[in-house]
Amino acid sequence: MKSRFIVTPILCTGCRTCELACSFTHAKDGKVGRSRIYPLAGGFKDLYVPVVCLQCEDPACVKSCLVDAIHFNENTGAYEINPEICVRCMACVAACPFGCSLFDPQQNLVIKCDLCGGDPACAHFCPTKALTYKPIAV
Amino acid sequence: MITVTINGKLVRAKEGEMLLAVLRREKIDIPALCHHEAVEPYGACRLCMVEITRKEWDGWKNMVTSCLYPVADGLIIQTHTTDLIELRKTILDLYLARCPNTPEIQDLAAQYGVNQTSYEQVADPNDCILCGLCTRICDRMGFSAISAVNRGHGREIAPPLKNAPPDCVGCLACALNCPTNYIKFKDIGYTREIWGRKFELLRDAKTGQPTITKEFAEYLSKHRNIPQDYFELNDESHRKETALNLGKIAIWSREVPQ
Ligand code: SF4
Ligand code: SF4
Ligand code: SF4
Ligand code: FES
Repeated sequence: MKSRFIVTPILCTGCRTCELACSFTHAKDGKVGRSRIYPLAGGFKDLYVPVVCLQCEDPACVKSCLVDAIHFNENTGAYEINPEICVRCMACVAACPFGCSLFDPQQNLVIKCDLCGGDPACAHFCPTKALTYKPIAV
Repeated sequence: MITVTINGKLVRAKEGEMLLAVLRREKIDIPALCHHEAVEPYGACRLCMVEITRKEWDGWKNMVTSCLYPVADGLIIQTHTTDLIELRKTILDLYLARCPNTPEIQDLAAQYGVNQTSYEQVADPNDCILCGLCTRICDRMGFSAISAVNRGHGREIAPPLKNAPPDCVGCLACALNCPTNYIKFKDIGYTREIWGRKFELLRDAKTGQPTITKEFAEYLSKHRNIPQDYFELNDESHRKETALNLGKIAIWSREVPQ
């Protein structure tokens, strides 16, 4: 079943639970991962915007990757960086206009939201449903 | 899907995929210094050798470089026979003669019980094992700035004519993926130095943090259609800006009756 990841900023309280969920879900070899999602100040009182990859159409990260390390996952709708192919040139980190491709110095990997392979942890744990992952009727 | 046998265990694999990929998926620890998924397999370091056979081969066996060997149904693989361990020891012994002071080689050799080379050390050692990964990655990126020069004993990786390489953009892909960290680079302030060449690092307009080199960004704009102004901010500043932009939209859509 196809699902869509939906962000509703006005519901976000900036609690940063999603950040924690993301880090722990992406732990590897005993090291927590860097979060791929950041609830940041939205410029109005008490407004926070969880900034996370929008899985764009024709994304800058894919265009900038000279070794084709970023592939679209048909099942989840996410663009995923294959860490074995990535050469850590930082092109995608520099090119993404939303800042959603980033470097994890702990794990020494270039990372972005992969929708957790189809079960986004952030949406699971978001207490106010500012983040949801819902089936879409086709 | 096909089935192969690895160290006595039945394993599923994709027809034609390289044996090394199957071994890695099975978490079998095989040294493979010249391998990287970004580039075609090359078979230079010889460390990934394994033993293969098939039922119909009547006990006949062969040793192959797993990074270059496509799997087929019914293949029977051994990865740690005494012969293979001896072979890896010999190869590492030779590497140690070439790179006696290289931690990555010392560690790997020690894992196989080789602490000192039994060959004569080269006179003027460096850390390069000549696996050619750097040049292959640079080629794959589309820059082809460096190559192996000379033959035999004098063989080394270098820019053309050993001058600062004109086609290098300072992306660091070669240096960051060298299995022995032979390729040195320095980032000082807004200057990056690699292969004897200096590059200017772009800076985030908000915080002044350095990002990628000017040359790399120009290449990506020109050949990959990334708008030049995307490079004015770094990822963190882009995220902050995104929050402000989406924040405006969120407030606006709340105030507009739907
Ligand atoms: S950092 Fe990795 S994924 Fe990003 S452009 Fe470079 S090789 Fe591709
Ligand atoms: S979907 Fe997964 S990867 Fe993406 S932000 Fe949420 S937790 Fe992180
Ligand atoms: S830093 Fe220069 S030599 Fe190294 S991969 Fe990039 S372009 Fe090639
Ligand atoms: S990884 Fe197979 S020969 Fe180097």
